[in-house]
Amino acid sequence: MDNIKINATDRSPEVDFDFGRNAFAVRGESYPEDVTAFYGPILENLEAHLTCQKDADIKFNLELIYFNSSTAKVLMGLFETLDEAAENGNDVLIIWTYEKDDDTMEELGEEFAEDLEHAKFEMKALDTG
Amino acid sequence: MLADNMYAFRGQLQEQGVVFCYSGYMTEEVLTGIGNAIKKMMELEETDRMVAKDIFSIFVEQVQNVIRYSAEHVPPKIIGQEKELRYGVLTVGYKDGRYFVSCGNLVRQEDVARLKSSLGHIKALDKDGLKALYKETLKGEAPKRSKGAGVGFVDIARRAVHGFEFDFSGVDDNYSYFCLTAYV
Repeated sequence: MDNIKINATDRSPEVDFDFGRNAFAVRGESYPEDVTAFYGPILENLEAHLTCQKDADIKFNLELIYFNSSTAKVLMGLFETLDEAAENGNDVLIIWTYEKDDDTMEELGEEFAEDLEHAKFEMKALDTG
Repeated sequence: MLADNMYAFRGQLQEQGVVFCYSGYMTEEVLTGIGNAIKKMMELEETDRMVAKDIFSIFVEQVQNVIRYSAEHVPPKIIGQEKELRYGVLTVGYKDGRYFVSCGNLVRQEDVARLKSSLGHIKALDKDGLKALYKETLKGEAPKRSKGAGVGFVDIARRAVHGFEFDFSGVDDNYSYFCLTAYV
């Protein structure tokens, strides 16, 4: 599958999907005009790719500074997809990076992670200085 | 006279602590523009970064609610666009030691009861209750007729550390005016 690289805009995050290395990242702010139009295609690609993986090391980096409630819904689905990939015999690690003083983002990370049964989860506090 | 009227209007806004006011059609472009202006304003005023984030976040949810649900709108065929234009009023301000984000728009009478009960329910919840409802809503199906995640109000309530208020005022047989103010 071709790698996906989308630059960040005012309202949408940078997307960096390296299918060959099984390394995925979403970084920045996320409140796109049309959440489905933005995330639909890239997550379809991701799902298609993950269903073909076996015994793979998969790493997903989420470095979101802010996201709106429609994006939250997408993230919930993403966590389910990644957990399924882990259930199917892959080593899946999700890294949730948040700004150190942002309690809301820290809490949201914990909340999303609560339902993971197979994937590994790490929280990473980013020093904002 | 012209200046007097405008000056009086400005005075009214200032009295209420309003530092930013928009009244008109709300589109995604308007959201981007006002959003950047509000961010800039809070930066200049050196608003605490996390408070600024909560204000911004509430602003986004409020405006997206208007874009999706305001009953005051111009049908697409009139403006020759795919999407209809929806009307709303937004104010952001600071009074009595707290920030507020307030939004008003027309809603259909048939939606008033559902909105009242849903907002009343959210208002009565504590932190853990809001957290649980947030997650439940994210996972469940969006409410009927909802075009968004249906979780916007819960998100607003979670970020409004000084709570929120809502009110409805009957306009005519078909419409009520709906207003929601969240405090940070």
